[in-house]
Amino acid sequence: MRLEHYLYISIILFSLGVFAVLTRRNAISILMGVELILNSCNLNFVAFSSFITRDITGQMIALFGIVLAAAEAAVFLSIILSIYNEFSSINPDQTDTLKG
Amino acid sequence: MDWTQTLFWFFFAMTIGSAVFVVTVRNLVHAAFWLMITLFCVAALYVFLKADFLAATQVVVYVGGILVLVLFGVMMTSGKLDLNLKLERGQMISSGIISIALLAILFLIVRRTNWQTAETQFDSEGTTSSIGEAIMGEFLLPFEVVSIVLLIALIGAVLITRKEVKKEDAA
Amino acid sequence: MSVASLIFTILLCPLVASTLFGFSALLGKRLPRQDLISTAAILVALVCSLLLFGQILGNPALKQPGGIVDSMVIDWIAISDLEFKMGFLFDSVTGVMLIVVTLVSSLVHIFSMGYMHGDPYYPRFFAFLSLFSFSMLFLIVSDNLLGIYIGWELVGVCSYLLIGFWFEKESAADACKKAFLTTRVGDVGMFVGMMMLFAKFKTLVLYGEEGIFEAVSHLGSEDILWLSVAGCLIFCGAIGKSAQFPLHTWLPDAMEGPTPVSALIHAATMVAAGVYLTARMFPILTPGSSLFIAYIGGITAIFAATIAIVRWDIKRVLAYSTVSQLGYMMLAIGSGSYVAGLFHLTTHAFFKALLFLGSGSVIHALHVHHDDHSEHSIERDGIPPEQDMRNMGGLRRKLPITFWTMLIATLSISGVPFIFSGFWSKDAVLGSALGKAMSGGSIHYYLLFAIALIAAMITAFYMFRLIFLTFFGEPKNQEMYEHAHESPMSMAIPLIILAILSFPIVNKWSFEDLIMQPDQPHIHASTQQASALYAEAGASDHDTHIAGDHQGDIHHTAHNIAMVCSIIVATLGILLSWLLYARQPMTEDPVEKALGPFHTILWNKYYVDEFYNGVIVKRITLGLSNIFGWIDFRIVDGIVNVVAFINREIIAGIVGLFDMIVIDGIVVTVVGKGIRAIGVQIRRIQTGTVQNYLAVVLSGIIILVLLFLSLPRWIP
Repeated sequence: MRLEHYLYISIILFSLGVFAVLTRRNAISILMGVELILNSCNLNFVAFSSFITRDITGQMIALFGIVLAAAEAAVFLSIILSIYNEFSSINPDQTDTLKG
Repeated sequence: MDWTQTLFWFFFAMTIGSAVFVVTVRNLVHAAFWLMITLFCVAALYVFLKADFLAATQVVVYVGGILVLVLFGVMMTSGKLDLNLKLERGQMISSGIISIALLAILFLIVRRTNWQTAETQFDSEGTTSSIGEAIMGEFLLPFEVVSIVLLIALIGAVLITRKEVKKEDAA
Repeated sequence: MSVASLIFTILLCPLVASTLFGFSALLGKRLPRQDLISTAAILVALVCSLLLFGQILGNPALKQPGGIVDSMVIDWIAISDLEFKMGFLFDSVTGVMLIVVTLVSSLVHIFSMGYMHGDPYYPRFFAFLSLFSFSMLFLIVSDNLLGIYIGWELVGVCSYLLIGFWFEKESAADACKKAFLTTRVGDVGMFVGMMMLFAKFKTLVLYGEEGIFEAVSHLGSEDILWLSVAGCLIFCGAIGKSAQFPLHTWLPDAMEGPTPVSALIHAATMVAAGVYLTARMFPILTPGSSLFIAYIGGITAIFAATIAIVRWDIKRVLAYSTVSQLGYMMLAIGSGSYVAGLFHLTTHAFFKALLFLGSGSVIHALHVHHDDHSEHSIERDGIPPEQDMRNMGGLRRKLPITFWTMLIATLSISGVPFIFSGFWSKDAVLGSALGKAMSGGSIHYYLLFAIALIAAMITAFYMFRLIFLTFFGEPKNQEMYEHAHESPMSMAIPLIILAILSFPIVNKWSFEDLIMQPDQPHIHASTQQASALYAEAGASDHDTHIAGDHQGDIHHTAHNIAMVCSIIVATLGILLSWLLYARQPMTEDPVEKALGPFHTILWNKYYVDEFYNGVIVKRITLGLSNIFGWIDFRIVDGIVNVVAFINREIIAGIVGLFDMIVIDGIVVTVVGKGIRAIGVQIRRIQTGTVQNYLAVVLSGIIILVLLFLSLPRWIP
């Protein structure tokens, strides 16, 4: 239960989140990947504040992170829904009208 | 190896294992449930880090809020979509390489850094009251800002999703 | 409550009221009663101003210019060693100005509820009024030139928005542009002046240990010229904002805005900001810049007064009267009488706001709806029929409240002795000019005193002309007369309150007790020099000492002389007006006959507008454009042509050969095709798929991190 153990969990979650964001064909799965990344960051903050600064500053930042994640999820899903209404698809490959 | 340590390693494994399933499982609804387990496990890790309030918040907000939102998203878009996620081989490989490279680099950084950890871990009988004081004191401004951000995000979400009421529809 | 928190409340209330409107407009919904919100906000500010004023009465330290500044200063911008601080200045001048602004603004808010009722943009009007109130209050409480400048430009913007409030009307749209651009001319001068001060003193804060005024008092005599120039340049801002000659032309045109706006912005407060600024900068004035200010003020006073004689538009008469009175205030400050200038500012704010609101009441009463207007109410000389005094007459029977209140204001502005505030303040101004002349100031001040006296007579004349034409005699437009009606209570009450304020509630002596005159180190020095010369010329040291003591006596005598003179000229003016306009029914304008060709000059406002359009816009601007155009065409194009000739004839031959052999042969085939092939490949990367982009970004990050990790090994 040393700091490094938490950091290992954190970096594994982060890499898995990146993997999901890069490979998934469905916007909602990508959102799940983003949530994994956010969780890994929060875990990092809390671990550092517990082992190094030994106060609640990191916990506060993680708390704000959770709030922002909630805001982000709400906006993300509303965008997904309106994209779905527009294209009848949430596959990011098919929503490429910006394509050059 | 006392029982807390056993429990820690259990959650350690569970977090990573469930996260792997989130990323690889093909059924979207199953992926969402694996994500729920991951989030619970992270909450448990917060408890190990003596962040009890944060653990509760994690459960309430992530599991109770965000995950339900995700499931709603799955439900509302699933009408015409098959939920099977096919992965292209080429993209799989390149993304896998990038992710593993990231993991390796981060791992190296964690290993090499000489962490100036304190002798004893942060200990507290409960952080709720001190978090409350911090929110009303040192973190008052960020707190107010983040509440406004959340409000704006929610209003914006409603605004984006709302369908335009066309005149012929209304008539 | 402390001073700082009261000032914060005063500033916040109108700001919140106007931003509420902004947010509600963004959301597409209007708040139900913007008028009540704005009025409540300004009333709270008024109460806070009164509380602050109470603190001044109880605390003699606040009567000193500079007052208290500490505990209200925040760092605003810090760029290396340049520091700008924002702070509040609170002394008796601020206190008086706060009361004037919040009081007039509150009354105008209440008046507008009646006057603007039914306007399609009714809520927006109140939002603008609130924004204006905030800007003006910010200007007043700032303790540094930068804050004053910010407030200064903000009131300019509000003035622009409110003059152009009825922007569908072309004349209003033109007037607001004119106002904005004309004042901008003065503001450039002000900004340069500010920068001169900043370059020298490295601060824009006025009072305090490190303030400009402290630094100015240590300047040597070699810097007097520099300081005079800086003072004159800052005064340029005041020339623009307070519509002094030669930048006065925007103010009469600004009457295109709604009448309550004219009362608040273009009579009582914003235009007085120029006077306020000049008064604030009082300690840096030198004999040279003082004389400049006094002359500009004197010229403006008489210049605008003469134009007002021949106007038919009731609002234009008042507009020129405002310009003229602002000239008086400048004259007072230029004559070294800070208190007289501010005193006249205060009394003028009340009686001029009253006159404007009264004229608004008249216009409101006569306003004929467009569907039933007949040939009787056709526009003459481009004046709207309800503002044309040739359509009025006999209205005192129809509009008793408006008549009596406006009469009180007119008696006040004309300087009818003893019971009206305008008499005392005008006497203070005249006395200050004469006193300056008599106590060893420049001989020019005698001339300025004479000018101001004549202007006072003309003022009495045209103001009574307005009253006689509007309220006395027989109705000249029977249809409009029948239609006229007294205004609703929301309009009558502000008129009555302002009429009460036109009596000397604050008289000259208590005002002098309230506001202490700041020291003018450089004028002081020059007077000392003069008396030293006087001493050398034969008088003993003892005599000069007595001369100093006698200064007070001289001023006293000057004031007595001025008082007698001003009573005489006021009586003359009123009498003349009565003879010409009230004694017999008017058939044609008696002034037009009497003045002959001079009338045409006055009617055309001394052709200043024509001069600006004809000479500055057409000749100078177009001329410069032509010159630059010629340079462009002849010289720049000429050079280009020569170079082109050389190119074409000599180099082209050589290049042509090279082109044929090397470029066509090798480069095009190899490079062109190669690039095309690369392009085809690169085009594949631009898939429009976000995930691919993200993958590339992440790869970049990985490479960068690897580089950073391995660099220490490569670079020992």
